Amino acid sequence: MNLPSGVRFYDLRHVTGQATLIDIDNGVVESAGTSFFNKTVVRVLGPHGWGILEADNVSPENKQRIGDLIRSAAGLAAITGQEITLSDAPHGSLEVPRLQQNSLDLSLEEKTDLLSGIEKAAALPGIVNRRANYIERSERIEYSDSSGTEASCRMCWSGFNVLAVASRNGNVQMGYERMHTIRGIDLRHQEEYGKKAAELAISLLDAGHAKGGRMRAVLDPELAGVFAHEAVGHASEGDLVQEGNSVLAGKIGEKIGSERLTIVDDPTLPEFGFEPFDAEGVSVRRTEIIRNGVIHSYLHSRETLAAVGNGIPGHARAMPGEAPIVRMSNTFIENGDAKLDEIMEACGTGILLRGSRGGQVDPGRGVFQFNAEYGYLVENGECTRMVRDVSLSGDILSTLHDILLCGNDRKMSPGYCGKNGQSVPVSDGAPHILLENAVVGGSGVD
Amino acid sequence: MALIDRILKEGSKQADEIEVVYGEGSSVSADLKQRTVRLASRSDDCGLAIRVIRNGRIGSSTTNDPENWKRCLDAAVASANLATSQPWNGLPGPSAEIAEDTLCFDPSISLEPPIVRNLLTTMLDGAGSHKAEVTSASASLSVGTMTIANSAGLLATSRNTGVSISMEAIAGQSTGSEFDQSCFMDVNPYNVGEKATFFAARSAGGKEIATGSYDIILSPVAYAELLGGVFVPALSGRNVHAGRSRLADSLGKEVMDPRFSLYDDPRLQKGLGSALRDGEGVPTRRVDFVDKGILRSFAYDLRTAYRYGKATTGNAVRGGASGGTSIGHHNLVFDGPRSDIAQEPAIYVHSVIGAHTANPMSGDFSVEMANAFHMEAGSFGEPVRSAMLAGNVFDMHHNIVGISREVRQIGSLLLPSIRVAGLRVIGK
Repeated sequence: MNLPSGVRFYDLRHVTGQATLIDIDNGVVESAGTSFFNKTVVRVLGPHGWGILEADNVSPENKQRIGDLIRSAAGLAAITGQEITLSDAPHGSLEVPRLQQNSLDLSLEEKTDLLSGIEKAAALPGIVNRRANYIERSERIEYSDSSGTEASCRMCWSGFNVLAVASRNGNVQMGYERMHTIRGIDLRHQEEYGKKAAELAISLLDAGHAKGGRMRAVLDPELAGVFAHEAVGHASEGDLVQEGNSVLAGKIGEKIGSERLTIVDDPTLPEFGFEPFDAEGVSVRRTEIIRNGVIHSYLHSRETLAAVGNGIPGHARAMPGEAPIVRMSNTFIENGDAKLDEIMEACGTGILLRGSRGGQVDPGRGVFQFNAEYGYLVENGECTRMVRDVSLSGDILSTLHDILLCGNDRKMSPGYCGKNGQSVPVSDGAPHILLENAVVGGSGVD
Repeated sequence: MALIDRILKEGSKQADEIEVVYGEGSSVSADLKQRTVRLASRSDDCGLAIRVIRNGRIGSSTTNDPENWKRCLDAAVASANLATSQPWNGLPGPSAEIAEDTLCFDPSISLEPPIVRNLLTTMLDGAGSHKAEVTSASASLSVGTMTIANSAGLLATSRNTGVSISMEAIAGQSTGSEFDQSCFMDVNPYNVGEKATFFAARSAGGKEIATGSYDIILSPVAYAELLGGVFVPALSGRNVHAGRSRLADSLGKEVMDPRFSLYDDPRLQKGLGSALRDGEGVPTRRVDFVDKGILRSFAYDLRTAYRYGKATTGNAVRGGASGGTSIGHHNLVFDGPRSDIAQEPAIYVHSVIGAHTANPMSGDFSVEMANAFHMEAGSFGEPVRSAMLAGNVFDMHHNIVGISREVRQIGSLLLPSIRVAGLRVIGK
């Protein structure tokens, strides 16, 4: 293919689609509607770095418009100075997992009715507010580049959230449940989620505050998944490693955690972070970030692999109309062989933490924080008093040595991850794990 | 304008009232990877939002493809058919006093890539002041217009510009970052670079801190994260009436130390959120949420006000033309008698990690401190290596013992540093 002068490479990612949102708040249908988008991003690799054009309502068939965008992007690239090269990469696409039969074919009205049933199920005594949201986003993604690569797919992410708020004497607590999938959510017979959210909110009214300090902690699969995402996933992203903003830079081959620990990012898994190909049209594969406690690979785009090495490309992702960056997909701690009762017994005295309200990491400093929805104090291997609002913090290079046991009950949880203003669907997971010396932040005192 | 008229005309046939918002915007930005420019980008986007009201049922849809406005209008009408009916007393009409809104517009800003590159270069100059390496930086310029029109005769346009810069730096395993943002070409890139490397270099070699109760000075950055995620949503009329606000029963009661006030000042000179009209076209006005410690008002948009028999406070905000409206604020100011709050010993916390995990209902938080120092006699002492900070955002406001003279604009918040007595620090 003939490239315009000064252009070494270009690619084009065109995404069209629609998003349906339903919001029911205390029995009131606040909104139930559909919105539409058509977004394109063109990247041009000039003599040095990238020129990038983001535009609305471009048709890839309109060759003249595409040509104009490429020339404009080449003009922008002229102010760059970084010497960027791209690694070779295999191309190809996986098959997108099929939608469950007809689950999304219901009318908007039927979906609203079903969501309303889930929301009503949270109306237990003591609940002062219930809110349920449904989201269904479908995209048609088309990728092409100046090397002749072409790939396209249709994806749909759908799911619901239900929130229940309990209040008593000025004490306000919430319970939150969610279910999201790439296989088409079935809203029928899901009332249990509403009830569970309400029961959690009510029981949290009587929960205490954890006393902050170091202790043994058992993390449930959802929270341990967030731990893997925050403590290891972000710091292994090739762009952060390249710019010197990760404590994992230069650590390939070093043992940074317990031998029991293997942490993987795998976009091929048919979970919420699945992609049939990445945002550079590269075929996706599994990457073992940590194998048996040793740093094994980073997550890479074509650019960061060429600059940093140690890994495979295929981990570039992007929101519609935005430039790709290195991202996680489905990130998890591999199963070990411990049973949950063995983990609890080994914990002895400590804390069991469940659910997640998210987390954050400073990858350069190597410090991370994440938050459990609730937990139980553990005495002699048994759960005792319920506690709420428990955060954990840790140091990437030391905390991973403190994983004493990994269970055999890995489970993945869907969510969204934000980086540089872009939010993408991901899943995190793990078996139950036992941590020693966990730093628990709570405002409780003796 | 012709497009807006056509949509208004067509929509009026299908609904009692219709509102159309159309916006266009462009931006140019560039990013550094360490000390060289990695990429330069330009973005041109547009958005159309249609809202219809039929028998008190409100429906809406958005698209970034205005040629397909008919599909968008159909979706808005379909959405109204499903919504629950509520009391509705009409969209705002025109008012003579308000012409084009240029409160956030600087005609001198033009989208030239060399200007963006110069911002990056000046940040790098500033970064040379301290011994730390730049890891990344970004600069962007933007211009946009937004027009709102409705079937009650309103037609109002606002023009806006923006400049935004940020830098991250590292010294060994100690990180620092800084940013600046304005609607005018008055950001200080040298200062941003200098501060980013200052915090990275100055935080190196920190010592552990013992668990206990400390006086804490929260910088405007750290305070913004806790205030924005917990206290601000609790002021939303919708959350209040829905039972999702801990402040719901506190009107007329003391919710913070009686020396301090919190108000929305929508027409502030050079405010990042300044606007003559809110996201629904309602003229904005000052709203005193907390006056000398007493909770006086919640924030309302039209929908929530009509539903609960209140008046709108002009607090509808829009996340761009292709976003819907929600209840928010324009320039939220924390105010009160100012003093030198760093004379007595305290722990200064520049920012926190994990503020979004604070419990928005109860206000409880436990976060990791970042760029924290022992502070005494107004100057930074020994850095704190690593520790958590735990407390409750609502309760904390009763224990604010002083606020700084310096004020910083962080998005739509204008905040001082605050000194809070007796917060829990969990050392390692």
